[in-house]
Amino acid sequence: MNDREFCQHLDIEVKILRIWVEQRWLMPREAEAGWSFEAADLARARLIQDLTGPMGVNDEGVDVAMGLLDQIHGLRGRLAVLMGAIRAQEPDVQRLILSKVDDD
Amino acid sequence: MTSPYETLGVSRDATQKDIQSAYRKLAKKLHPDLNPGDKGAEDRFKSVSAAYALLSDEEKRGKYDRGEIDETGAEAAPRQYYRDYAASGEAAGRYESAHGFSDFAEGDDIFSSFFSRRSGGQQRQRGRDAHFSMEISFLDAANGTKTQINLPGGGPALDLTIPPGTRDGQTLRLRGKGEAGFNGAPAGDALIDIRVRPHPLYSVEGDDVHYEVPISLSEAVLGGKIRVPTIDGAVNVTIPPHSNSGKTLRLKGKGLHKSGGGYGDAYVSLKIVLPEAHDPALSAFVETWEAGKAEDPRKGLGGHA
Repeated sequence: MNDREFCQHLDIEVKILRIWVEQRWLMPREAEAGWSFEAADLARARLIQDLTGPMGVNDEGVDVAMGLLDQIHGLRGRLAVLMGAIRAQEPDVQRLILSKVDDD
Repeated sequence: MTSPYETLGVSRDATQKDIQSAYRKLAKKLHPDLNPGDKGAEDRFKSVSAAYALLSDEEKRGKYDRGEIDETGAEAAPRQYYRDYAASGEAAGRYESAHGFSDFAEGDDIFSSFFSRRSGGQQRQRGRDAHFSMEISFLDAANGTKTQINLPGGGPALDLTIPPGTRDGQTLRLRGKGEAGFNGAPAGDALIDIRVRPHPLYSVEGDDVHYEVPISLSEAVLGGKIRVPTIDGAVNVTIPPHSNSGKTLRLKGKGLHKSGGGYGDAYVSLKIVLPEAHDPALSAFVETWEAGKAEDPRKGLGGHA
């Protein structure tokens, strides 16, 4: 969807959207006609609305929260890959790894 | 989409009776059989009827009020949270950041590429932000200015606009001037922490500026127009006759730029100074000024015999 449709979904002004993109809280794909948003961007924008609205987080707080959140998802993605790789090992190897992480 | 309440012209806390009577009134006016050939009336009748069907059913009305169904009575789609997309990794790959764990990679261990590469391997990754700090004068911060900053690590000097009303500790952002992005992703930003040097005259309290301005004995006694410095240039200020040391004048709008627009105020505290050179005429006058000798400005301070 384009920026106008995106704003309609969220019931926000384009001005607000520009600020969010400026802050890099949203990084829409650059299409020929301007920004192009996907469902993930919409869900992310709703999170920003929750943070700034009912949860009362200020702009600096949103900046921190989104940065940490992106790190967490990066971590979770890598962890999922790692777990997949461990599960693909022989049961003996899996048990060895488990005993090692249990020790720590 | 209009809410069924708006369609019927009733408030959200209308009773069932209010809703029924509102519907009946509208139905009588809009019923297609009473408006043959009027397509507009028919459409409105349909939406009024649908609104009534929803609101007259207490259970449906409750569901609508809680946002569980929309005005057509259709179940509202359950909300998709961001984590659902982030977990799928697909579109969220744009946002995911690997900065938090690149330190897991140890030297040439065989996992180092696992931690430095992002899932999928092809994803774009925005460059890191680079942090700098810079000291500017109080007046540059207050009035704003354009300056240049040389970032460590070489490269051309960057133009930096200091907006008026910049405060100590504020961070300015130069978009795209941080580290380069990965796989065609945008570069990071340069973040510049601003330190504002204190000013010998002006001190800041919130959006207001406080300072002391000396006045002569005759200005203090007789009053008059004096030139007073402000952060954006001197202004004429009239001081009333008999203005004592410590008297504070407020210069409205002569403080700092507020972040939300507008300005703070300047508070000018007057300070009487005697002429630098000893003046026998002044001494002679005060000699003869009986009331001055009788006055005790330290009355009530304690320590009297």
